[in-house]
Parts: sequence; C-alpha cells; structure tokens
Amino acid sequence: MRDAFLIAKREYLERVRSKAFLFTTLLFALLVGMMTGGALLIPRHASGRARNIVLASDNLVLAEGVQQEIASSSSHIAIVLQAPVPAEDRERLTREVDEKGYDGLLWLPTATGTKRPQAIYASRSSADLFTGDILRGAVMRVMMRRQLTEEGLSQEKIHQLLAPVDLKTLQIKNGKATTSNSLANFAGAYIMIFVLYFSVVYYGMNVARSVIQEKTSRVFEVLLAITRPESLMAGKLIGVGAAGLTQMGIWFSLTLLYGLSPIAASIGKNGVGILGITVTQGVFFLLFFLLGFLFYSALSAAFGASVNTEQEIQQFSFIIVIPMAAGLMMMPYILSNPNAPAVVALSLFPPCTPMVMYLRMAAETPPLWQLLLSVALLIAATWGMLWVAARIYRIGILMYGKRPTLPEVLRWLRYT
Amino acid sequence: MALVELERISKTYDHKIAVRELSLRIDAGTMFGLLGPNGAGKTSSIRMMIGITLPDSGTVRLFGESFNRKFLRRVGYLPEERGLYGKMKVLEQLTFMGQLHGLDARTAEQRAKRWCEQLDLSESLGSKTEALSKGMQQKVQFIASLLHEPDLIIMDEPFAGLDPVNSRALEETLLALRESGKAILFSTHRMDQVEKLCDFICLVDHGQAVLTGSMREVKSRFPRDRIALEFEGDGLFLKDPMIEESKSYGNHVELRLKRGADPQRLLHLAAESARIFRFELMEPSLEEIFIRTVGGRTDA
Repeated sequence: MRDAFLIAKREYLERVRSKAFLFTTLLFALLVGMMTGGALLIPRHASGRARNIVLASDNLVLAEGVQQEIASSSSHIAIVLQAPVPAEDRERLTREVDEKGYDGLLWLPTATGTKRPQAIYASRSSADLFTGDILRGAVMRVMMRRQLTEEGLSQEKIHQLLAPVDLKTLQIKNGKATTSNSLANFAGAYIMIFVLYFSVVYYGMNVARSVIQEKTSRVFEVLLAITRPESLMAGKLIGVGAAGLTQMGIWFSLTLLYGLSPIAASIGKNGVGILGITVTQGVFFLLFFLLGFLFYSALSAAFGASVNTEQEIQQFSFIIVIPMAAGLMMMPYILSNPNAPAVVALSLFPPCTPMVMYLRMAAETPPLWQLLLSVALLIAATWGMLWVAARIYRIGILMYGKRPTLPEVLRWLRYT
Repeated sequence: MALVELERISKTYDHKIAVRELSLRIDAGTMFGLLGPNGAGKTSSIRMMIGITLPDSGTVRLFGESFNRKFLRRVGYLPEERGLYGKMKVLEQLTFMGQLHGLDARTAEQRAKRWCEQLDLSESLGSKTEALSKGMQQKVQFIASLLHEPDLIIMDEPFAGLDPVNSRALEETLLALRESGKAILFSTHRMDQVEKLCDFICLVDHGQAVLTGSMREVKSRFPRDRIALEFEGDGLFLKDPMIEESKSYGNHVELRLKRGADPQRLLHLAAESARIFRFELMEPSLEEIFIRTVGGRTDA
C-alpha cells in the first residue's frame, strides 16, 4: 500500500511538473477564454445584430400591418417602410438595398380576392433562414387577420384565434408525468461520453505510455525487485489518473469561473441553464466517470505492458474506443428504451457501464440492484484488469524486441 | 549464517533450459563471484534469488528462511541493465528508491547525500539523471541499491562500463561493505576483479554450476603447471618434451608443463646450462581455469 502510494506520488509529481502539463493546461485555459469571449461577441455581430430590412409595397395598409407584426415578434428586425410605391420601383429598390447596405428587401404586392399575395424577400445573405421565418409568419398573420375581419369577426375574437399555442412537454417517469428534461438528459449523456472519451484517450494512453517507458528504460527490473507488480500498477494508475484529474479539475474550475463571471452572465440566461443537471445526476456522473476512467486506464496499462513501443499502443487504442462509440450510437435507443433487456445487459457489461448506466439513469431510475451490480462489476473488472496488467508486466521483463502474440500473452497469464 | 541458499533450482523458458539444478550458498561477510559466459544463466539465477521470477523446481532460502518478499527490504539489487527515471533529479531519485526500500524520506535523503559525497557525485545532486554521463548514472544506481543498508547485496555486472577510477572506487566500497559483514554477490566477466575480490566463486555454463567453492579450493583443484622463469645463458632446455608450451619474452619465459611432468626436473635441467634468477611455480589464473572449464567460449 505504501509502495503504491510512493509510486503514485512519483508519477503524479513527474507529470504535474512537466512542461507539457503546464503548456496544455494554459493552452486550454486560453481556448476557453477565447471561446467565452467569442460567445460574447457573436450574438452582437451575427444573429443578435439588428437587421435593416426595406419593406416595400404598393399597399400602405398591408405594409403597416406587416411592420407591426414583425415588430411584435422580433426585436432584431428594423423595418424601413417604403409604401406605397409602384411595382416598377422594385428594381430601383433592390439596387438601393445593395448600395445603402440594407440587409434585404421584402416586397409585398396587393393581394386580389382570397388569394395570398406572392411576397418576395430578397436578402444579401444567402443563409438568412431565421429572418425568412419571421417574415413569413408576419405576412401570414396579417393576411389571416384581414380575411377574418372580412368574414365579419370581431377584433377580440380574431385576437383569440391568432393567439400562439404554448406546448408544454412532460416526461413519464415511474408512472408519473414530470417536467421533461430530455434536453438535459441528452446534454448530460453527451458530456459524459465526450469527457470520458477525451480523458481516456488522452490520460488512459498516458498510463500505457508510462508503463512502456518503464519497460524500455528498464527501471522496472529495479522496481520489481522491491515491490509487487500489483502495487506498481495501482500506483501508476492512481498517479497518472490523479494528474489527469488535476488538469481536468483546473479546466473545469476555469470554465465555471468564466461561466460565473459577469461577461458570461450577459451571454444568455438560457445558455448554461439548459443542462439543468440535478445533484443526484451530478453525483452519479462523477461516480461513473471515475470508475470508467479507472477501468479504461487499467485496460491501457494491460496493453502497455504487453507491447514494447509507443507506436504499437496506437494500434490498440481503437479497441478501447469501440465500447464508447457503441454507447454513443445507441444513445437514442437507450434513452427511449432504458429497460429493454439488451440495454440492461449492456449496462451491466463493465466496458459499457459508465455510458449506458448513466444514460439509463438519465432516462428513468433503474432498479437499485442493477445499479449496485453494475458498480460492483465495474470495480471487479478494473481490479481484474490491473491484475492482468501486473502479470503481463512482470513476465514482460523477460521479453525483448518482438511483440508477443496473443497466445503468448495468454500463456504469460498462467506463469508464476 | 547463509544469507542465500539455492538448492537445486531450475528454470525453463518455453523450451530453453535457463538454469538446471543450481545450488549455492553465500555467507555473511563474504564476496561471491558468479561467473559464466553470456546466456549461461547468471541473470536468471539472480532473478530467482530475489523473487522477480520463481524457480520451476528447487528452493530459494534467504536469511535462513524460505523465500518471502519481506526479506527484499534487506536486499540491495543492481540489475545488469541499468534503469533510472531520466527526468528525475538525482537526489529525488535516490530518495524515492530509499523510500521504496522502507526508509523515511529524511533518512533516505541524508544517506543519499552522504553516499554522493563519498562517490564524488555531490555536484550532480540537483541534476536530472538523464543529463549525467553513463558512468555517473551507474554510480547513482549503485548508491540506490545500497541506501537502505542491505545485508545482502546482489550486483549484476557492477563494473561494466566504468572507467578505471570509478571501477576502483566501487571495488573499495564493496570491500568495505564486506568488512562490515555484508554478503555480496556479483556477476562479472572480469576475471582479474573476481580473483582480487571474491572469496567464493561459482562458474555456470549452460545453466549448470560447473565449478563451485572457495577461491583457494577451486584453484587448488587445478595443477600448478605454470612456470615463470628468468635466466641467463643457454635456453636449450626449453626444447625439452616435458614442456607443453612456452612464451618467451627475451630472458623471461612463461611456460606450461605437460600433465604429470615434474617441475623439479626442469629446474635441474635449466640449472645445468643457465644461470637462474627466478623460477616460480604459479597457480593457474582464474581466466585460465575459466577457459579450460568452459572451452573456448570467452565471450562472458
């Protein structure tokens, strides 16, 4: 135990003191800063910027009606009214839009009878779909209001008819309808998978690399003469893992700090809020993340112990990623069928547990025994992986140069 | 007391027999030389001694008891292939190794500083290990194996790659350790060192001990058939059939007699025709014994 601690401490300090650690930590901090700053600037200059649109029509009443509708549905669109103008002026106005730097021209011809007018919106930006939607809605409502007036309905009645509908989405959980947080579920699960994926690929590989370095530098023969390979592996896992968690902790704190700062607050109240992760979810997120991280790191350690060069590790990395990719692909299915037998089985299969069990929890609270069983299996699998890694590591001392074949590795496991 | 007792240990890797029924014993206060050509099974034997691998058959006893990992705290091991953490500073590295051997950080640090002073490494205490020369790194590793004041010191090729000055310093350190009652086992192919330092030797070849015993006893098993001779006058007696081979360096000649030949007869013969300044009956050198025993394979 003391040995494992000493080894963990050494690994941790060597990593945290390295230039690479400092560099990546700072680089990420800078990136987060830039992203936060960027997010602050983007709304002002892109979607948040007011659009200046020329609204031209040969019908003043129609034009004014649409102008009012637009004003009531969006604060981002400023209308320059040109009405009434004859239809021949359209070309001149189009030129003007371009010359004077307006964003677009909405042309509304007078409608005849019950036919809707052929409105035309010419925009300088090809991808301005959002504005198009607002304009379409406004014209639509004006036309409906006019037709309803013509049908002889009172203004009050018309107002009632055109009132927008509010759709509240609920989720049935344990037989009761509760406020839906499907967005939060998705967001939480995505974050889980990506954080786990990133940390495993980056830090899990560090464990493998550190095992290989010890083999190539032959330090391991000295270490094996003092301590048990199991302590060595456990120490490595804890040390390298703790260094990774430190870095992620720094990044997370920085992100929070940015998030809490006044500039971030001004970006949007609904920006961070949608995640809406509850405390329970947060606790399980941490639990499954830590367990998953340890499991995959132990797996990496076993791979590291059975090869001789860092290049060879790359060939193995895809194996590690497969269960996570499976979790990602199955996400919609898991969220809508959290208790399907296949999903339950998958959530008890250790490599998939962190992702799948977390997803199941987000969708619907699974039975307690399944939850406990999955955690127990994951811990057992991690320990088993470490044991295998330690064995391969110890036998690897006798190997040079060539990569062991799978049968050889299996035979090593039987050696004492 | 025997600090190490190997009793008929064997180890086979796949189809290759690395060690076959090897027995040896190392006592406190003695220096033990493990000799043998490359691939003879020296490193395999050492590894089994300290539990890095386990023998397929036979028993390993340390400090008078069956092998137990707890004894490893009392063992200092210098592997054949040196391994240090390159990025660690020398003092950190030594402290870490000392701690792994059970010392507390302060004691480990104090001892590391003292050893470094003794072996002329004080200036490198704050340097990264990878920045040191190979010889210096070897001294660091040497110190790392001794910090916890082990009773049993096992060194695989400790002198390989060292210059004469450092080699001498290491020899003196080992002799001092023996004086203080430690048991030391080292493997080497430098016969002059074994001859100078070791009390007991074991020569292994093809995984088997082909020669074991105290230096004196081993040497006495080989006949004193080498003669160093200095003379003036007629050297005709050198053609006598009792001489197997001779090397002449002017008036100084080294020769070997045929099996069963009597050195006294040669002395008489020589005295008849020449003035003798020196006539020395020499015991065989360890190198000769080595070559005679394992044949022409001198790539140890």
